[in-house]
Amino acid sequence: MLLLQIATAGIATGSVYALIAIGIVLIYKCSGVVNFGQGGYVMLGAYAAYALTRLGLSPQLAAAGAVLILAAVGALTELLVLRRMLKAPVVAVMMVTLGLLILFRAVCLAIFGPDQIAFPQIFPQGAVDIAGIFITYNYVAAAVLSLVLSLAFLAFYRYTPMGLMQRAAADNSRAALAVGIHVSNQVSVAWAVSSALAGLGGVLLATLNSLSLTLSSIGLVAFPVIVLGGLTSLMGSLVAGLLLGMLEAFTDGLLTPALESFLRAHTSVYSVGALQQVVPYMLVGAMLLVRPQGIFGQRGTERV
Amino acid sequence: MLEARQVSLRYDGVIQAVDGVDFTVAPGGLVALLGPNGAGKSTLLKAVAGMLPFEQGEVAAGSISFDGRSLLGMHPASIARLGIALVQEGRQCFRGLSIAENLKAASLARPRGAATRLDMVFDYFPFLREMRQRPAGHLSGGQLQMLVIGMAMMGQPRLLLLDEPSLGLSPTMVQTVFDVVERMHHELSVTVVVAEQTVPRLLKMATDVYVLSRGRVVMHTPPAQADEETLQRVYLS
Repeated sequence: MLLLQIATAGIATGSVYALIAIGIVLIYKCSGVVNFGQGGYVMLGAYAAYALTRLGLSPQLAAAGAVLILAAVGALTELLVLRRMLKAPVVAVMMVTLGLLILFRAVCLAIFGPDQIAFPQIFPQGAVDIAGIFITYNYVAAAVLSLVLSLAFLAFYRYTPMGLMQRAAADNSRAALAVGIHVSNQVSVAWAVSSALAGLGGVLLATLNSLSLTLSSIGLVAFPVIVLGGLTSLMGSLVAGLLLGMLEAFTDGLLTPALESFLRAHTSVYSVGALQQVVPYMLVGAMLLVRPQGIFGQRGTERV
Repeated sequence: MLEARQVSLRYDGVIQAVDGVDFTVAPGGLVALLGPNGAGKSTLLKAVAGMLPFEQGEVAAGSISFDGRSLLGMHPASIARLGIALVQEGRQCFRGLSIAENLKAASLARPRGAATRLDMVFDYFPFLREMRQRPAGHLSGGQLQMLVIGMAMMGQPRLLLLDEPSLGLSPTMVQTVFDVVERMHHELSVTVVVAEQTVPRLLKMATDVYVLSRGRVVMHTPPAQADEETLQRVYLS
């Protein structure tokens, strides 16, 4: 019973992590840039949805509007910032993405203040009763939406002409240019899609918890996900996101209580703190020692 | 068809790769662009295809036009859509994608009639049909050269630019590549420019010969006058 409940929570948050991580991988594949600012887009998405409800939109419309706004913000980031840095070293570009994260936080802090905000209810309140355990609609909706969208996006990337252009531009930009694919436009598209996914992730995370600036630190969870998934594999991100969500949920729901009751019985220590934020990283570290290319990553092969 | 007048090309703003070159390609021609290593052949082809700015290069002076339309400042993707296909050195393709996806991706800029052209490519290169689900990275050098030529065909070019297609291939493979080029030139009435160091076979099929050396045109003749002896003298001078 308890296990099932924990697993559901793990799937819900894990699939949102996957959604966010897929966006990072998408940009990395076609431009070689790791977007350290992804957490900023997650946070912006949630605040944008909140702002739209304050303007009078229904929560559902506000959520959809926030996703569109974030797509525009992502495309603009590429056009106004990244495109001007084409000749800069990749490390410099990554530092700029980190700067954007700080900027977005400052903007949200200035407009919305530092306090937690109750996020408007997008999905119906209440819970479904599955075999005796109750799961709130928020969790069901977050899991279903993120999983369906992740899979839909993977299918889009794999089977449509637009997806093929994305993959071609990511594989070899010189060859792509020569066959008439406008590579920088493809990078713009990647930023737009990635930011839209991040924005949706932000909205879903805010419905699961609440709205605050700490949403921007979600990037810290997304990075182990993409490393575990193999950095260039979208499917890897999906699987690794779910895995990490589960690890967090089980650490929080089983390991921490067990450890705390053991410590209470035998020592004077009462709490072990937020163990769920540590264990996943330890496991990722351990796994990378065994399999450095991640679960789905390909070992670099070169013709010599 | 293609007209380059007094073209000077530079890298990094200082390195003069091509200096005041006139280069004309008539419709239906098959032009051999010969010259030793570093003569500026690749640079000239890249300038036509608009690829120079992506390698810190620039057209410093002169004009390049295709059917009377200036190509200067155009994006390579737009130039490709005009019907100019550059088969770059190094057999540039999408090694992580399947052969079928490589060919499909090469047709996206001009999708109309892609299915017919795919049949044609498979007719030219039957092995590509058999291996179409395999990643392009698994192909050998000669097979890759065929694939990139096939990819160029998928863009339905009117002008095909081939940059050293024989580089690193076995002599029999070189013959096969040139057989294909000749067949395309005849059957599809594609105008072709082939940049090479020296290939007797190329001289036999060319309609026009340019020889570049150190960034200048040192010889422009009908192929009849470009026997190997003359070429060797020009190369060494």
